Amino acid sequence: MKLLVVEDEVKLAEYLRKGLTESGYVVDVAHDGIDGLHLAMEGNYDLLVLDSMLPGIDGLALLAALRRSKHTPVLMLTARVHVDDRVRGLQGGADDYLTKPFAFTELTARIQVLLRRAAPSQSASEPTLLRIADLEVDLLRRKAVRAGQRLDLTAKEFSLLALLMRRQGEVLSRTELAAQVWDMNYDSETNVVEVAIRRLRNKFDAPFEQVLLHTVRGMGYVLEERQP
Amino acid sequence: MSRPTVRSLGRRLSWWLALQTLIGLGTVCAAVYAVAAMSLSNRQAESLTQKQALIRHVLAEAEADRDLGELKHRLDDFLLGHEDLTLTLQAGADVPLYRSSTVESALAKRVSTFEVPFAWQGARSIRATLTLDARSDAQLLQRLAITLVGAAAVGAALVSFGGFRLVRRGLAPVRDLVEQTRHLAADSLRQRLDGSRQPEELQPLVEQFNALLQRLNQAYEQLEGFNADVAHELCTPLTTLISATELALRKTRGVEEMREVLGSNLEELRRLAGIVHDMLFLSHADRGATARREPTASLASLAATVVEYHEAAFEEASLKVEIVGDAACEVDVALVRRALSNLVGNATRYATPASAVRIEISEIGAGQMRIAVVNQGQAIASEQIPRLFDRFYRGDSARRDADAHHGLGLAIVAAIARMHGGRPVAQSEGGITSIGMTLVAERCTPTTRPCTP
Repeated sequence: MKLLVVEDEVKLAEYLRKGLTESGYVVDVAHDGIDGLHLAMEGNYDLLVLDSMLPGIDGLALLAALRRSKHTPVLMLTARVHVDDRVRGLQGGADDYLTKPFAFTELTARIQVLLRRAAPSQSASEPTLLRIADLEVDLLRRKAVRAGQRLDLTAKEFSLLALLMRRQGEVLSRTELAAQVWDMNYDSETNVVEVAIRRLRNKFDAPFEQVLLHTVRGMGYVLEERQP
Repeated sequence: MSRPTVRSLGRRLSWWLALQTLIGLGTVCAAVYAVAAMSLSNRQAESLTQKQALIRHVLAEAEADRDLGELKHRLDDFLLGHEDLTLTLQAGADVPLYRSSTVESALAKRVSTFEVPFAWQGARSIRATLTLDARSDAQLLQRLAITLVGAAAVGAALVSFGGFRLVRRGLAPVRDLVEQTRHLAADSLRQRLDGSRQPEELQPLVEQFNALLQRLNQAYEQLEGFNADVAHELCTPLTTLISATELALRKTRGVEEMREVLGSNLEELRRLAGIVHDMLFLSHADRGATARREPTASLASLAATVVEYHEAAFEEASLKVEIVGDAACEVDVALVRRALSNLVGNATRYATPASAVRIEISEIGAGQMRIAVVNQGQAIASEQIPRLFDRFYRGDSARRDADAHHGLGLAIVAAIARMHGGRPVAQSEGGITSIGMTLVAERCTPTTRPCTP
């Protein structure tokens, strides 16, 4: 997967290049709108990460020029939180929108969603039975079993566990969990996600020897088998 | 030049006064002149008619006497006292029968010609031409006209000068106001205009201006305080970040330790980002952003989604939740959900364990809805109630988990209430605390179905 990052702040652009390369993407970087447009038109990219405020040609103008001939998915970045800004970006042909400051994990999550949407054939047949170590989650029957014992989970706890299972090995932030499980799309001041994770942990992880759900400080939570 | 050349109110008023006076006086003078001219002309006509009668009389006598010499003599006698009269008598086409010696004026004269029956040398009548010299009357009229024009001009000038003075005097309070405003500066918003010397027409203006200053001053002070708060709130996490990072870099440390430091820094940074996001939201609301309303079938089910989100926290504190009342309303769903989430989060934090939290949705009369979250717990002191919704206000500064809650939650509730045309409400009595907001209800139909998630 080849990505183009158009971002004029050198430091941020470098971090994005590094992070996305580590996540397994091939990344090109342009620091202004003119280079960015040139690369986007010439290169064959799977997705563009585009800053809305750029020297040369601003992000929205670049987007408009690109959309005249190409349908490359575009994820816009902006420091402005005005709703109309967002609306303008989306009307201008952006596929998604992220306001600064954003978390890197959120960026990668959005990129994955956009790429999946662009190539739907790969994710057509999602497994309905998920396994990790001695934990088994049946999405159809909505039941979770660990070491042969049926776990007694609330509906939301099940959704939370299912999400962690589907994305096992991936660190999921609190923001993302709140959005995916409870459809809460803003940073709330509450610590309810932590509490929910703690309660889930007490039900499926604490009674057993092997710990599967790990906290990554500052980042979020990840479900994976780790060698003791 | 489409721009009016006279921009000053005083000058414009004076000019108009002068012009009006000139028109007024001019009309009067014209009337006086017309009356004078008419009476003089009537007098001339009358005098000519009298003389005509006399001459007819003299001629009638002369006709009887048949003495031409005597006639001339008589006419001369008659004309002796009237230097302004000239008489010509003509019987045929040739030489006049009689011509008076007085010289005819070429300029102003009044001529009257009449036939007198007079049998004389074959002629049956005499044509008499009587000319009245009107020079003195014309001069009189001329002098009168000059006097009148002069008087009108001088009068108009006097009136306009007086008007100018009066207008200047009348506008003096305005100049005083201008002078006062000149001394107002942004840093002295506490000053007010002094309206005591102003006429009553200007009083409302002064009052309005002072009210505006008052509001500006409040906004300015709020802004100053807010900036100080922001700086303060941001300073603490920044200090933590800087010192933690410096400490980590001071020695060579293990990877695990470094991960720990970075993780803790990230948490700190997330908090900073959260504060900045919330503050942007608040300033956006302050600048008059309004809610984007969409119809919702049930506020109670909207509240239920929020309760669902907080479910784990409720269970943790063994709290029971009930939602009372319901309505179908047009509200900004995302915003109301956010406000409710903040309220519910607050209630969970302060509720007595194992008590009940109640979300109340009710109509409070004229198109106003009220959504409040009620919990049992420690009462809030009454002097703290009005300040609850202030930014960064924390009931007690050493509140538990203060680092997880930066004190903008209720300020955001207040902002969301204002965006819906309502206001925040709070009360705390006898261990029952109720905090919430009112909304201007648009297309609301209250429904009373008990709803528990």
